Amino acid sequence: MAKFNFSLNICAEFIYYHKVNFHYSTLVLYNVLKYICEREVWYIDMTEKKIIKMEKINKSYQKDKENLHILKDVSLEVREGEFLAILGPSGSGKSTLMNIIGCMDIFDSGEYFLNGISIAEKNEKQLTNIRNQEIGFIFQKYHLIPTYTVLQNVVMPLLLRGMSKEEAVEYCMDIIQLLGLDQRLKHKPAELSGGQQQRVAIARALVGEPSILLADEPTGALDSKTGKEIMELFLKVNDAGKTIILITHDKQIASYADRFVTIQDGMIFL
Amino acid sequence: MKRKEILRLVWINLIQNKFKVLLTSVGIIIGAATIVMVIAIGRGGQMDVAEQFKNLNAGAIDISYEMAKEELSGKSGVKESGKSFGGLPENLPSGERMPFNGDSQNMPSQKGENFSNNQGKTGNFGGFVRGGDSSDFSDRMNQEKITLTEEDVDELEVFVPDISSVSISYTTRSNVDGGNLEEETSYTIAGVKSIYAEISNLSFQVGEFIIDSNEENKDKVCILGASVAKEIFGSAIDAYDNTIYIDNRPYVINGVLEEVGTVSSGISMDDAVFIPYSTGVKYIAGDEVNPTITVIASDLNNIDGVMKDIETVLAESYPNAEFTMTDAGSKMEAASESNRTLTMLLFTMAFIVFIVGGIGIMNVLFVSVKERTKEIGILKAIGCSRKDILVEFLLEACFISIFGGMVGVAASFGVTPIVELINIRVELSAMGIGLALVFAIITGTIFGIYPAWKASNLVPVEALSEE
Repeated sequence: MAKFNFSLNICAEFIYYHKVNFHYSTLVLYNVLKYICEREVWYIDMTEKKIIKMEKINKSYQKDKENLHILKDVSLEVREGEFLAILGPSGSGKSTLMNIIGCMDIFDSGEYFLNGISIAEKNEKQLTNIRNQEIGFIFQKYHLIPTYTVLQNVVMPLLLRGMSKEEAVEYCMDIIQLLGLDQRLKHKPAELSGGQQQRVAIARALVGEPSILLADEPTGALDSKTGKEIMELFLKVNDAGKTIILITHDKQIASYADRFVTIQDGMIFL
Repeated sequence: MKRKEILRLVWINLIQNKFKVLLTSVGIIIGAATIVMVIAIGRGGQMDVAEQFKNLNAGAIDISYEMAKEELSGKSGVKESGKSFGGLPENLPSGERMPFNGDSQNMPSQKGENFSNNQGKTGNFGGFVRGGDSSDFSDRMNQEKITLTEEDVDELEVFVPDISSVSISYTTRSNVDGGNLEEETSYTIAGVKSIYAEISNLSFQVGEFIIDSNEENKDKVCILGASVAKEIFGSAIDAYDNTIYIDNRPYVINGVLEEVGTVSSGISMDDAVFIPYSTGVKYIAGDEVNPTITVIASDLNNIDGVMKDIETVLAESYPNAEFTMTDAGSKMEAASESNRTLTMLLFTMAFIVFIVGGIGIMNVLFVSVKERTKEIGILKAIGCSRKDILVEFLLEACFISIFGGMVGVAASFGVTPIVELINIRVELSAMGIGLALVFAIITGTIFGIYPAWKASNLVPVEALSEE
């Protein structure tokens, strides 16, 4: 039923956009329905689900009795499956924005919906759950837990959800193979190269099947060749349908994205 | 997060920081070992006391007359007060004095009474000494002495209520020969009544104790203490029915006592030869004896009353004499009291060690939280709840203290032989071990709460930006 509604939706939009007259429109409707039925393109959803919807987010910090207004009326929308780069120099507020997108920090005013969930009213415990379920973090410095092995690091988000280790290992094996980590499972992060560590971090971010991947300067600590490899990996993940938000100061890295926005002095420029 | 998985993480963290865990738990190890040892030494002390007093009837009151020795008293007042008046209260051994006949100002009148004493007892002493020490004040020069007699025993038996039995005994030393002895050897000879066995809870390896007919007939029989029998004959069985010579008179051995071990006071029963009281008076001691009367109070709660009654009854016979009375109950009480004090002292020490150990744990955990701030930040970023972090750190503290507790208990087993070497009795007990473990875990956990709470409250953004 839902699929049929989608189809009607598509038709209605088609009619509206082409400003056709009614007689003609019935014919078009017939043809469109026929097309959809024949080609089985039920899943095309032209409404474009917004995975992130931010409106007029403000955030300021109190530092040395001085009020620092970091984010000023930031509004941002990210479609599902989009690869968005947020480009900005250091001190522009992009890290603060990332923390807010990642539900690690709260904002002073505005609205933020992540996958349809309003973040503003959530308490710390709920935010923790949202981070675990909806967001996959990838950091510049990998942020792997040094005492755990690769496997233990990767399964961690699943363990935090209450899975047993055995279940979690089984669950994440595909991703481990996809990222070429299957030979490194028993290694400690310190025994891996930077690129490999970042792969582990990406694996950890992906295992929880989050709605978005949030990557903060993921190539910042890597040489350009490894950086390129990692970016290609991101493209691959994005092609598989995952929404990615990339935060960087590097225009070249940002060019991998479908779209980029610039942040400067706490304001977003589309 | 599943408990099992948290435990696994805790385990990983502990395993990878073995040395730190060991250092952290040193305080707990020492604390736990101390607790085990304290309880073991306390119990050892209690058992020692119990063993020392097992041959002592709790209701027993010993009455003896102690000679004041002029040289020892060293007070000029003694000399001035005249020979007939020797043992003035001031000159008597230390102890709780209970003069019942007035003080020295009444002495002149007492003197008169003393001279008219028709029993011929010439002790002109005022008051009683109760519970005092019984150090050896021997014969007083130029002083006739008081000798407690069997008549006094009869009198006490008749006139003092609330007593179950009265007995008289004395000890002296005499040369003994016979058996395997190569030459005459001096042994403690105790002249006792048949009832002594009952009063002193004696048990026998072989034979029986002195019986009433021995006493009546002044039979030359004897009972040997365990050590004496061993020294003279090699074993109790060999000694039984054999003969020894005390002062060159033959005595038939009617029995040998079980080994008693250390005793709280008085004679060591293992090293004594027991003979009938009357036999002793007749053949060995003569007039030189200074017997002790032992009264057994039937009601342990009325020892003081019985002692007062004894004073009154004896005062009839010896108006100005001063006797030393010691009751076994208060001796036991004193011994257990000092034992309790020692235990309390050691316990306090263990408690302090635990607090110090606990602060050590807290300190290391704080450092650990600081070191692992980033890790905590990562965990929080990827969705680790505050509760899980709290539980993880608490469990870590708990495990460190369990480890410390167990090593401490093991250490106490190692230390026990060393402590025993310096002649302290140690009685390890399951209770002590259990208590040490419980204390260890409680200490570790309590001192782990604050660092764990700190860890769980870290803000992920700040924790992650920590370098």
